[in-house]
Amino acid sequence: MSDWREDRKQGLLTNLRNPQSPKAVISLDGRIRQALEVGRTRLIVAGALMAMAFVIIGIRLVDLTLLQGSRSNTTSTAQEIDEAPPVQTRRADIVDRNGIVLATTLPTASLYAEPKKIPNPEIAARLLADILPEISQDKLLKKLSSDRAFIWIKRNLTPRQQYAINGLGIPGLNFEQEQRRFYPHENLSAHIVGFTDVDNKGLAGVEQSFDTALRENDAPLELSIDLRVQHILTEEMSAAMQEFSAIGAAGLVMDVNTGEVISSVSLPTFDPDSPGDAPDDARFNRATLGIYEMGSTFKLLTAAMALDEGVASVYDGYDVSKPIRISRFSITDYKPMKRWLSVPEILIYSSNIGTVQMALEVGTESQRKYLSNFGLLRTASTELSEVGTPLVPSPWREINTMTISYGHGIAVSPLQMTTAVSSLVNGGVMKPATFIKRDKDYVPAGRRILNEKTSILMRDMMRLVVLHGSGRNADAEGYLVGGKTGTADKLKGGRYVTNSRVSSFVAAFPMNNPRYVVYVMVDEPKGTKKTYGFATGGWVAAPVVKRVIERMAPLLGIQPVHIESADDSGNSILKKAKARMEGRKIAAR
Amino acid sequence: MAQRAQYLGRHNPEISLGQKIWQLNWGMVLLVGIIATMGLGMLYSAANGSFDPWASRQAVRFGIGMVLMLLVALVDIRFIFRVSYLFYIVALLLLIAVEVMGSIGMGAQRWIDLKFIQLQPSELMKIAIILALARYFHGVSQEDIGRPAFLLVPLCMVLLPSALVLRQPDLGTTGMLVLASGAIFFCAGVRLWKFVIVLISGLAAIPIGWQFLHSYQQNRVLTFLDPEQDPLGTGYHIHQSKIAFGSGGIFGKGFLQGSQSHLNFLPEKQTDFIFTMLAEEFGMVGGLVLLSLYLLLMIYGVAIAVRSRNQYGRLLAIGLTFNLFLYVFINIAMIMGLVPVVGVPLPLISYGGTVMLTVMMGLGMVMSVWLHRDIKISRRGVQDDF
Repeated sequence: MSDWREDRKQGLLTNLRNPQSPKAVISLDGRIRQALEVGRTRLIVAGALMAMAFVIIGIRLVDLTLLQGSRSNTTSTAQEIDEAPPVQTRRADIVDRNGIVLATTLPTASLYAEPKKIPNPEIAARLLADILPEISQDKLLKKLSSDRAFIWIKRNLTPRQQYAINGLGIPGLNFEQEQRRFYPHENLSAHIVGFTDVDNKGLAGVEQSFDTALRENDAPLELSIDLRVQHILTEEMSAAMQEFSAIGAAGLVMDVNTGEVISSVSLPTFDPDSPGDAPDDARFNRATLGIYEMGSTFKLLTAAMALDEGVASVYDGYDVSKPIRISRFSITDYKPMKRWLSVPEILIYSSNIGTVQMALEVGTESQRKYLSNFGLLRTASTELSEVGTPLVPSPWREINTMTISYGHGIAVSPLQMTTAVSSLVNGGVMKPATFIKRDKDYVPAGRRILNEKTSILMRDMMRLVVLHGSGRNADAEGYLVGGKTGTADKLKGGRYVTNSRVSSFVAAFPMNNPRYVVYVMVDEPKGTKKTYGFATGGWVAAPVVKRVIERMAPLLGIQPVHIESADDSGNSILKKAKARMEGRKIAAR
Repeated sequence: MAQRAQYLGRHNPEISLGQKIWQLNWGMVLLVGIIATMGLGMLYSAANGSFDPWASRQAVRFGIGMVLMLLVALVDIRFIFRVSYLFYIVALLLLIAVEVMGSIGMGAQRWIDLKFIQLQPSELMKIAIILALARYFHGVSQEDIGRPAFLLVPLCMVLLPSALVLRQPDLGTTGMLVLASGAIFFCAGVRLWKFVIVLISGLAAIPIGWQFLHSYQQNRVLTFLDPEQDPLGTGYHIHQSKIAFGSGGIFGKGFLQGSQSHLNFLPEKQTDFIFTMLAEEFGMVGGLVLLSLYLLLMIYGVAIAVRSRNQYGRLLAIGLTFNLFLYVFINIAMIMGLVPVVGVPLPLISYGGTVMLTVMMGLGMVMSVWLHRDIKISRRGVQDDF
């Protein structure tokens, strides 16, 4: 620190202390004083600068919070969103049972032209073609130079397109504010939700059947559909359709206690945002509108009516060793057993011969009465307008009774079949199917059509089919699945064609206290190497049901169980019935 | 000599420790306490109504800072005077050390990890440069200051750390170093035309310096010039910040109710953008109250500077006050879109250890200037009682 300045300073300070040199004192005092004076002024200036800067940011703060604040409120602040009034849309939303939006209405703009006001149609057409590449420039020019006073260019523009067209500033191009129906989940529930026309009039599905209600109400329409289950069912069925090269498929999941349709899928499906692009076949709802000969799944109904009427008990048996001949037809079994079969075994081995004998004991009149109670003889009464009318024989002869017992000679929709099986396992109460979410406190009591005891026995026997019979592939472990396979040859040109069939599986679970019925039908599956060429319900539809149950049960809060005794009652019935049949065999000899 | 002092009507500048404590600016201490408490409240809110992770740690740091401030206030100013250059050299060495081995954080080398605290030497340098310059200009005459050669040394003292900080790269701190130093030069009495020359040469250097800026720094400046050009990119922060101010209105949305901040539209709400959050939750009134508190603190600082009888204390007080002012001004002006986003925290409020400690140490020094306002300091740092 001892540089020259320091030394000199020290010198001055020594001078200061020396009274002999007063001049130095004065000069130093003066200089330092001067510096101090300048410093003091500048301190004040610096302080004033800081104060001014503070005033500036203070003013800016007022500006931002008050003046600009009110301005930006009109654009987009979080506050504004909080307080914005609900958007008034003309048509109410449709949501699934968990509130997920299936259909909603968005305000959009549509572009129209007043060609007479457009100064230069060529330039306008060229500029427009850049923004609307889907419309050709020639077509645009034709529209823009037509001599009409009003012409639509494009309905429902995207906001980006509207902004760009607005930016062109071409006179004679105007926007009409419109409402557009929009389906966020696209084809996932297309057949149930349906679609609207360009004027938002419902044309299909719930959109059609609730058209007026949707127009008049603000509250969203709650469907019984669970979109998650809908997704699972769609995915698994699509996979099966692909695997077996099928032409279509239908599937349903129903809550047996309320009659609510949890999921309803028809494949192939379509995009409800542009229904016009889809072929008729895709828009056709196989699950509700399509009617099919159900095949062996009907045997459940025949067994139920036999037990309920009291014409047979679960231990009774029938001789299935010989085909039944009636006039020129003969009824045979797919896998002939050549012995007496008890009622559970008839279901397990899916014996036509046994079922026919049961039906004959029930009688034509009773069969009609029961099938009518199951809701299979008239058009299902549900909210959708796409419901199929069943094909019922008329007149109803004995031969019809015989074929109907195993699901031929009568055609019903999958929805009807699912509803019937629901009443079979829910204790014997018929609850009409619905696509609208039911209030937990308000579930219709339904109509008793079977004794509770019959229903309990049917649960056991359906479980036996999955444990020992043709439904083994549907056994989702821990969920006590019970069910029945169905394979029906399709009628083509008045003849049954063996290689063209409808393979289905209807299941309920968990069998100790059934909650849901799952129905899956695959239309015209072809056997694969993996299934050894088989394309029957047990090979095609049962695995789909298994996977669907495995995936949906956890979502719906059903826990897998392992109860040793769960299958005991069924197995003991089977054991006792088999023992009885042994006796019959000996007696027959 | 005592006689002379009596003759001049001066009281004895040397006062005892008890008197020091008695004379301490307790009003200033209270002011600091109020501001820091507001800060803790905002940190509590920033964590969505939780003391973790910010408010609790900041409270500990504030406690330590408070003790440090009071201790520094009681330290004899002549001691501070003597260690000024040493402090500067240590800070400079730390700055070089960061350059060499600093840990990488947020894409910039700024910290030395001392395990218990992550030291930011650039923050220390803000105080060190003021100490060193105040010492350099202490007791020099107008003639000396008038000579350009005399100004070369302090100019280098400023430019060396500035260049190091700019390399880190930290535009905000560099700006603060240069501006705070400028304030001391100004208060020391450097002629105005010299500032004009520096300003012009600085402006001339901008096109050259521009090339050395990181692209994100260039973006920030460009965004400042036209914030609307990219509302989702670099302009996003300022845009969201302005929305928050606007939504706050006069009285704000209420404590813990700021949707901009709690829904994470605001970036860095616990550090740089904490004032925005305050303005959203307590509105214009809350913002003005905090500004007034800061202003009061600065009035204290300027008054102390004016009252100090020694040049060193005067320059030290004004320099530190100006430094505090720069923090507040740059931070608030930045989040209101008046200056580019440069990453300067709000002192005593924002979350951050080094800033809290250095700011409180600086305030302690200002208080020390007050307690030793009548003490004469020679060029060597001893009392020259003439």
